[in-house]
Amino acid sequence: MSEHTNIILKTDNLCKYYGAGDNLVKAVDCIDLAIIQGEFISIVGKSGSGKSTLLHMLGALDNPTSGSVWLDGENISSFKENRLSQIRRRKIGFIFQSYNLIPSLNVWENIVLPLGLDNKEVDTAFIQDIVKTLGLDNKVKNLPNTLSGGQQQRCAIARAIAAKPSIILADEPTGNLDTKTGDEVMALLKASAKKYGQTLVVITHNEEIAQMADRTVMIADGKVVG
Amino acid sequence: MKMVFRLALSKLRYHKSRTMLTGIAIMLTTMLLTAIGTSAIALLDMNRQLVVAQTNYHAAFGLTEPGQLSVLSKHINVESLQSAENFAQIIYGKMNGSLNYYETIKDGIYFSHLELTEGHYPEREDEICSVPAFFKRVGADPVVGGKVTLSFRVNGKGDIQTKEFTISGLFPDREISTDISDSRIAWGAYVSKALLTQYEETGLYEPSPMAYLRVYGEDTLSYDEMENKINSTASDIGLDEEHVSCNKQYLFTMTSPDTDAVSIVVVISLVVVLFSTLVIYSIYYVGVITDIQEIGKLKALGASKRQISRLFFCQSGIICIFAIPLGLLIGYLLPWFLFPQVIRILNAAALDSTRMDHLKGLRNQLHMFSLPFLLAVVISVLIAVLVSLLKPIRMAKKVSPVEAIRYQENTTDCKSRRGHLTVKVSTLTFANLARNKRRTIVTMLTMGLSSVLFICVAAVMNSCRVEDLARRNILEGEFRISLDYAHNDKEYPENNLDALVQQEYFSEAFLERLSSIEGVESVKRAPGIILSSTDMESTLFAESNNRVAISCFTREDLPELNEQLVSGDIDYDRMTANNEVIYTHEYSFEKYGLALGDVFPLTLYDGDREIPLTVTLTAVSQPESYITLIIMTKDSWDNLGLTCDPTTDIYLHVKDAQYDDVKKALQDIVAENEHFSLYSMDEEMAIGRSGLSLIKYPVYLILVLIAVIGFMNLINTMITSIITRKRELGILQALGLSNRQLVRMLSGEGMVFTAGTLFISATLGHLFGYLFFLYAKKMHFMSLKSYHFPLWETVILALVLLFGQAAITLFINKKVEKESLIDRIRSQE
Repeated sequence: MSEHTNIILKTDNLCKYYGAGDNLVKAVDCIDLAIIQGEFISIVGKSGSGKSTLLHMLGALDNPTSGSVWLDGENISSFKENRLSQIRRRKIGFIFQSYNLIPSLNVWENIVLPLGLDNKEVDTAFIQDIVKTLGLDNKVKNLPNTLSGGQQQRCAIARAIAAKPSIILADEPTGNLDTKTGDEVMALLKASAKKYGQTLVVITHNEEIAQMADRTVMIADGKVVG
Repeated sequence: MKMVFRLALSKLRYHKSRTMLTGIAIMLTTMLLTAIGTSAIALLDMNRQLVVAQTNYHAAFGLTEPGQLSVLSKHINVESLQSAENFAQIIYGKMNGSLNYYETIKDGIYFSHLELTEGHYPEREDEICSVPAFFKRVGADPVVGGKVTLSFRVNGKGDIQTKEFTISGLFPDREISTDISDSRIAWGAYVSKALLTQYEETGLYEPSPMAYLRVYGEDTLSYDEMENKINSTASDIGLDEEHVSCNKQYLFTMTSPDTDAVSIVVVISLVVVLFSTLVIYSIYYVGVITDIQEIGKLKALGASKRQISRLFFCQSGIICIFAIPLGLLIGYLLPWFLFPQVIRILNAAALDSTRMDHLKGLRNQLHMFSLPFLLAVVISVLIAVLVSLLKPIRMAKKVSPVEAIRYQENTTDCKSRRGHLTVKVSTLTFANLARNKRRTIVTMLTMGLSSVLFICVAAVMNSCRVEDLARRNILEGEFRISLDYAHNDKEYPENNLDALVQQEYFSEAFLERLSSIEGVESVKRAPGIILSSTDMESTLFAESNNRVAISCFTREDLPELNEQLVSGDIDYDRMTANNEVIYTHEYSFEKYGLALGDVFPLTLYDGDREIPLTVTLTAVSQPESYITLIIMTKDSWDNLGLTCDPTTDIYLHVKDAQYDDVKKALQDIVAENEHFSLYSMDEEMAIGRSGLSLIKYPVYLILVLIAVIGFMNLINTMITSIITRKRELGILQALGLSNRQLVRMLSGEGMVFTAGTLFISATLGHLFGYLFFLYAKKMHFMSLKSYHFPLWETVILALVLLFGQAAITLFINKKVEKESLIDRIRSQE
């Protein structure tokens, strides 16, 4: 499969169906997609088009009905749950629309959480660098509920980058933010990804963000349409 | 209201596990209360039936005038009336027997031993009826129509008459041991009116009838009122109170329930209710905390405070409708099935064969159902639920719409957290516990409370030892031979202690005879007893037939007496010099209105010699084993110069191997004297064992149920903690938390609860357990002697907690895992 060494993530005839018979919903319908390392891809599409389902399968959060997902040359669709959680810890960074920070941990702890789960030493200088880049340096001890939406999302970005994953998957990262903050967050995300050499896959409704990407994939009714 | 009801219903369905837990807690509470109360009702009824089974008369009047009986039969107070006459004394060896006659004048009185099993009551002058054993005893064939010849003295005096009787009827047979000597059994045979009339006409018989009667008002009047009514009836027919003898046991049982039993039931029930209230409160409290957002949304939509509280009441109401009746049913059925079994076991143990005989027949006719009681249970449970709802409702009412929608279940007053440089699974565990500090503490406290309760009772139960119970009757050694004596029997003065000591039953020769039995190691006299009376006005003496026993203590007893000192002070030499005495029972000291410094001019009875002695009460001390209420120093005792040996008890130490042989030999010796009783360690141990199991098992059953209710609380906390964090846990998994790490994190949380609970039970539990033991010991409960640490109970508690919480965590986690990760991350609960 790894004929193209630059391809970090690839799907093969990827399908995700829900229900059966008349109620069959093809959330993702035979998608073939290849993402090159360091690339910034935006995935756009209407609500219910299957973007998020695709992203979840790319991020090993969900199992495909058929087809396969190849990450770094490995078919992760056949992996067991334990191996998948290891992959999520090491290779993938997630950013959710609703930030999904752990409310009982402070900003720093949220950021280093994936490292802790992997029993890895925290590279303090590196994390401090991220924190500084994202403008959270005076908030590290704060609990998430004391932060603004933009700050929370920046914290989520820092968390996604912290374990130095090869891919960052962002599901409408600016969906809950006002335009100005959204733009700021997006710029930071793009800059950080570039700085640390990470592949960035972003789902968005926002035309401007889509245009910031190296490539835009358009999805409709579970298929890639452009 | 309809909307609120529908909302309540849908909320109950949505929070299925919480609904179930609340339901189970309420059900168990109801069940416990019902079971405890129903058992108590059954027990009271059993006691009542035991008393009723023998006879049901209220009072016996010794009539003095011939016309009194007919006046009595027409008296407005009299419900039932029966006359009885003691016609003659039977002369047959040492037999203590009499020929009697009875006649029912107004129906309604019965004596169980006078219910004919066959034949009829004597009508002709030569007819007789009695128990088959009596006829066998006098050498006749116990069949109706059989002949028996008896010698008797009419009115117990005059010439001996001999007459042949025909057996006309038989009374229910009694099981009477052949070992018991004749003189100790009161045999009674019944003859006809015709015979009495015949002797009366010849002037040989002077009737002195007794009247057994029942007065109206047994169901409504109190004991005192009944007694007054009986006495006023007696005075109406010109009878003094001294001729009236009330059937106290019957009257007391029928008019006032056993206050001891009732108060125990009330205390246990209160503990159960209090505890359940706390658990139900905790479940609701946790519920409100997790529902704050939902409540806020309802408020944002316009729900008023009243509607919010109605919502809560509605939810609990619906649960109660199902849980309470179920609890009532199970709580009623449990004793309904188990109680007869307990009685069966008691029957088998046959602690007291005469009492147990009556039980055989009434096993299945126990009256256990009491509607007022069940209603009281329902009301108590409803009040418990209501009280437990008050605070959660107040909290829910305070929720503001805006705050609630923003509320993320993690709201703490803290804005920041010191945190750690790196995050481990344990960091997550403690971070979660810390953010719900109040919830964590409430759960730990309720769990802890149930464990403390468990350990407390276990400590006392574990300290109850069969041997301690047995030692109540045999203070030392393996056997005790005791002198049966009366204090002040006017009719049979020969049975009084002062008369018996003159017989010198416990002579040196007798003791030597005992020592010579093979296997007997030592024979020891117990400190003696002498009786005393006073001319002074004293409730203590009045309630003891004006004879109070006195014994002595030695210098060796001083440490224990000082340790158990309640009031006053003990100085041996001063006490000897001034004839001072110690009172040994705190409770009756107050009851009899005694005070330190009371001076009693006493007369002591040394056989037929009377010794005047004035004593002063200077201390109250309640030692483990006291023989008499009043004790004096050994020196004062010796100064009395007693001429008769005051020994009433003898203790024997025997070799284990020859225990059975010694027992047999002692039984033979004791059978020779009607005033001797033998207490043997094996029998006392058996009695102690059954007495103990009678208390131990029900108490442990109640404890287990309390523990189960407490466990509901843990289950609830864990379920809420996991279900409400479904999304958060999903996110953690999305970030790479493996299943194993998840289980470790959750069981870590459970472990903290368990550790907290165990810490509370190990510290407070054992502290209170010891204090409770000291209190129980002071109250002389089950003859407690030394504290035995409830090790096994503590280990079992710890194991149950550890495994229980681990099982719950795994179970809930498995359920949560069934949902896909994506669904969990998206879930909004």
